[in-house]
Amino acid sequence: LLTTRPDHVRARHPRAKAHHHAKRRPHRLHLPPLGTRILTSPMVDRLFWRAGFGPSQADRDRWTGRTAGAAVEYLLSTPQGPPAGPNPTNAGKPLSPTSSDTDLVLSWLDQMVRAPNPFVERMTFFWHRHFANSRDEVSPPQLLLTQTALFRKYSDFGRNPKASFKDLTYAVTEDPSMLRYLNGEQNNAKPPRIANENYARELMELFTLGVTNSAGQPNYSETDVHELAKAMSGWRINDADPNNVVSFYDATRHYPTPVSVLGTNAAMTDRQGVDVVLNSPAHAPYLLTKLWGEFISLPIDTGTLAQLRSLYLPGFQLRPVLTAILTHPALYASPNEPTLIKTPVVYVVGILRALRLGITDGSIVGLLDQMGQRPYFPPTVAGWEGGPAWMTTNGLFARFKAAGQILAQPGLTPKDSPSETPEQAVDTARLAVGNPWVADPTLTLLRDYAHRAPQSTPKARIVRQLVLRTFLLGGPDAQVC
Amino acid sequence: MPQGHDTDLLAIRCADCARSDSLDHDLRPTAYLPLPAEALAGYPDGVESVRRFSRRSFMRGGIGALAAVYGATQVRLPHMWDAAVANAAQPMQRSLVVLFLNGGNDGLNVIVPNDASQFAAYNTLRGPLARIQGPSSGTSVGTTVMPGTGSSLAFANKLVAGTANNGGTTGFDTMYGDGSGGAGSDLAVFPAADYTPPNLSHFSSRDFWFAGALQKMSTGWLGRWLDLYGSAVNPLQAVSLGSGLSKQVRSAKAPVCSVDQLGTTSFSIPGVSSSDVDLSYELGRLSGVPAASDNAGLGKARGAYGTTVQVAQQLKGITLGSTAAAYPNSILSTRLRTAATLLSAGLGTRIITIDWGSFDTHGNQVASQDPQLQTLSRAMAAFTDDLTARGIEQNVVTLVFSEFGRRAKANASNGTDHGAGGTMFVSGTAVRGGLAGIHPGVTSLDSNGDLKVQTDFRTVYEALIAEWLGGDPTAVIPGAPHGGIQRYDAGTRLMK
Repeated sequence: LLTTRPDHVRARHPRAKAHHHAKRRPHRLHLPPLGTRILTSPMVDRLFWRAGFGPSQADRDRWTGRTAGAAVEYLLSTPQGPPAGPNPTNAGKPLSPTSSDTDLVLSWLDQMVRAPNPFVERMTFFWHRHFANSRDEVSPPQLLLTQTALFRKYSDFGRNPKASFKDLTYAVTEDPSMLRYLNGEQNNAKPPRIANENYARELMELFTLGVTNSAGQPNYSETDVHELAKAMSGWRINDADPNNVVSFYDATRHYPTPVSVLGTNAAMTDRQGVDVVLNSPAHAPYLLTKLWGEFISLPIDTGTLAQLRSLYLPGFQLRPVLTAILTHPALYASPNEPTLIKTPVVYVVGILRALRLGITDGSIVGLLDQMGQRPYFPPTVAGWEGGPAWMTTNGLFARFKAAGQILAQPGLTPKDSPSETPEQAVDTARLAVGNPWVADPTLTLLRDYAHRAPQSTPKARIVRQLVLRTFLLGGPDAQVC
Repeated sequence: MPQGHDTDLLAIRCADCARSDSLDHDLRPTAYLPLPAEALAGYPDGVESVRRFSRRSFMRGGIGALAAVYGATQVRLPHMWDAAVANAAQPMQRSLVVLFLNGGNDGLNVIVPNDASQFAAYNTLRGPLARIQGPSSGTSVGTTVMPGTGSSLAFANKLVAGTANNGGTTGFDTMYGDGSGGAGSDLAVFPAADYTPPNLSHFSSRDFWFAGALQKMSTGWLGRWLDLYGSAVNPLQAVSLGSGLSKQVRSAKAPVCSVDQLGTTSFSIPGVSSSDVDLSYELGRLSGVPAASDNAGLGKARGAYGTTVQVAQQLKGITLGSTAAAYPNSILSTRLRTAATLLSAGLGTRIITIDWGSFDTHGNQVASQDPQLQTLSRAMAAFTDDLTARGIEQNVVTLVFSEFGRRAKANASNGTDHGAGGTMFVSGTAVRGGLAGIHPGVTSLDSNGDLKVQTDFRTVYEALIAEWLGGDPTAVIPGAPHGGIQRYDAGTRLMK
């Protein structure tokens, strides 16, 4: 079997080649030409996997032949609409996210599955992994629902086009779930009491700066942690009504006198503390590199990083940065052979969307756990490790099982076609599961199986369809996007 | 389908191996090694029985678990098995189990200052978190004086209060014995073990402890020991129990591996029976399609899928056999039982790493730390009993540490923030038990309000190499103090 080696340049610039050459620009970030890149069908697939949960045929029909800039503009300027399709159920009953943790997870999966604009939910999930809070330590569960709504607000750029990371960080700092998860509600720093450092440390280490810069120099000191914790003090939670939990500032718990954080000495509120941290030169490279890695498998180069920074600072606005990343040529590299391993959530939601199925069963939550990613239950405050670490033996058993289990839902049973050839059987299966990417050599092997498989009875042909469909949705090639 | 053709695993993996440099560096397995169910099934007759195995019988026996192999791209699976079989024919070598406590364990509530002035200062610092002085009551956790320490220190009572708190069995107190370091005194305790200046980031400090250096390194301290003194072919010489590989055993060339769990699993599709299609065969073919040489993601996906196919094809159900040791109900116990099983299987295993726990107790510390410490105490004692029942206790030493300790003063949340100076333990019948370091007390703290570090953790590593595993510690831990440990009684030996 031969491996197809994609011709990157030709595939990347099918129609804009002359334009590109006329400009004689290096392969760096250069926004206007990128926006005019014409999308091929594999490029549409790539964009909708990386910025969503996989393409529908309607997405392909709509965007193939149009520019990347137009498609990205659509994702980043279309307000999220009401969910399409029937409401979710678990064992025949409506979901009850605040009384069942399974339903809590299902409720978010449902939003992803039925989102008219998939980018909003995809980005919301990014924030959950960035500002990771776990149900294991956060009660009542309403706090997590409220926090997710906050993340959604900073992912729906149609509604909130000027959304900034600074405003998001202000809100997260005062968010009841975060105050509970990282002990902010207990941060009473009125002397002689001493501050609880948990949030202040992770704010710098994980949420905004990172421990060291690219030269290996520390981005903050232990003193900065102690002092910033004082600035963060004073916030409390009123959870008397679990459906209306609010945080509030209690001046009697706030550290009253000047603190010294990252070279700034002043009496500080929590927001002023956030301001000081975000003004660190370490912040932009840290966040921008992480955002880049969310969508693109190749490492970011220094020139691109510098240009992203100029888009990001001084207003900390997210949309210009995301537009630049999603239209960058690196996202569309190797269009005929995907390179990024799907996270479990993207994998499962992608299957459901491809099959146009809703949430009707809780067993998928257990399978997500086996795959290593149950939303609302990150393993640490650093979120999930991800990347190649997803590809474990246990995880792959769960991924294959999930594909088969979803395909076994009522109404999806393949129809028997007595006259169907093996090649036609493969085509039927591909169409039935939304035409996912599959490598040419894989296709040859699937046809070979279809030839060898028993096919003389209706049952045998239906089994063959089930197997082909499960391979397409759950096999090795289905793990990347 | 090929059954027991041990080269097939590597055939599936090789396209993946070539890409290991381009994807997430050194975390990627380079091969997978099936572990024989027979070897892992336990030996009621003792370790002698492993010697009747040959490589052929290993492979015929079915796979009990799968080891992800790291570090040695050139090792062929038959060589691995030859190495394992050769090791099985040798007397068991000295081995080390390393138990890492996640999150920064509060050592100050493990070993409590017990003389009058220190206890008063401790009580002031800790407020509601402090253990009371004296024995436990129905509502309070007291302390028990550590023998051999002149009553200036005490174990927190949850750990050691004899049968009541140890579930009717043994615990740290029985392992510590009379603190003399003689027979029956098998638990060495290092208060305020860390490094200076301390780094209080979880992730940075772990990197230092795992590297055995005050900087990030691409290899771990045990990985470097294996490179110098370990096997060039046997990945089972070092096993991380869990889904990933501990940074401690990352090596430059020595093969090492991780074993997730001893379990059973397979591929299936609802509505499709095994007589309809051989899913392992078909998926094995799909996994074998090569990816473009620069496509690390797809290469990884297909490679890992190929491995999973092999497991499905050959895995036979296996559970940990019954044990007389009174392990508490905990994942820690499962891992320690797995460790005991592997060590007694005669596979040449020298190093086992385990990560466990959730010790980042910023708030409501007592409710979180106490039960975990109790589990730790009981599980380690049960592990000792398990090893003894298998007749290998004299060949196994266990090291326990966390990435740092906690601030001496409690925070406003009935918890403690990150602080320097955690507690290390080394246990085993070969270990000279007792107080093996100095307790700095709580009346003179460092500028951060933390315990003043007394034992550089690297001196304990060095002692484990020099006195136990064998080799030149200065070659393994460059830049370490090389001064030896400094015991409470001025001794410098870690082992009996």
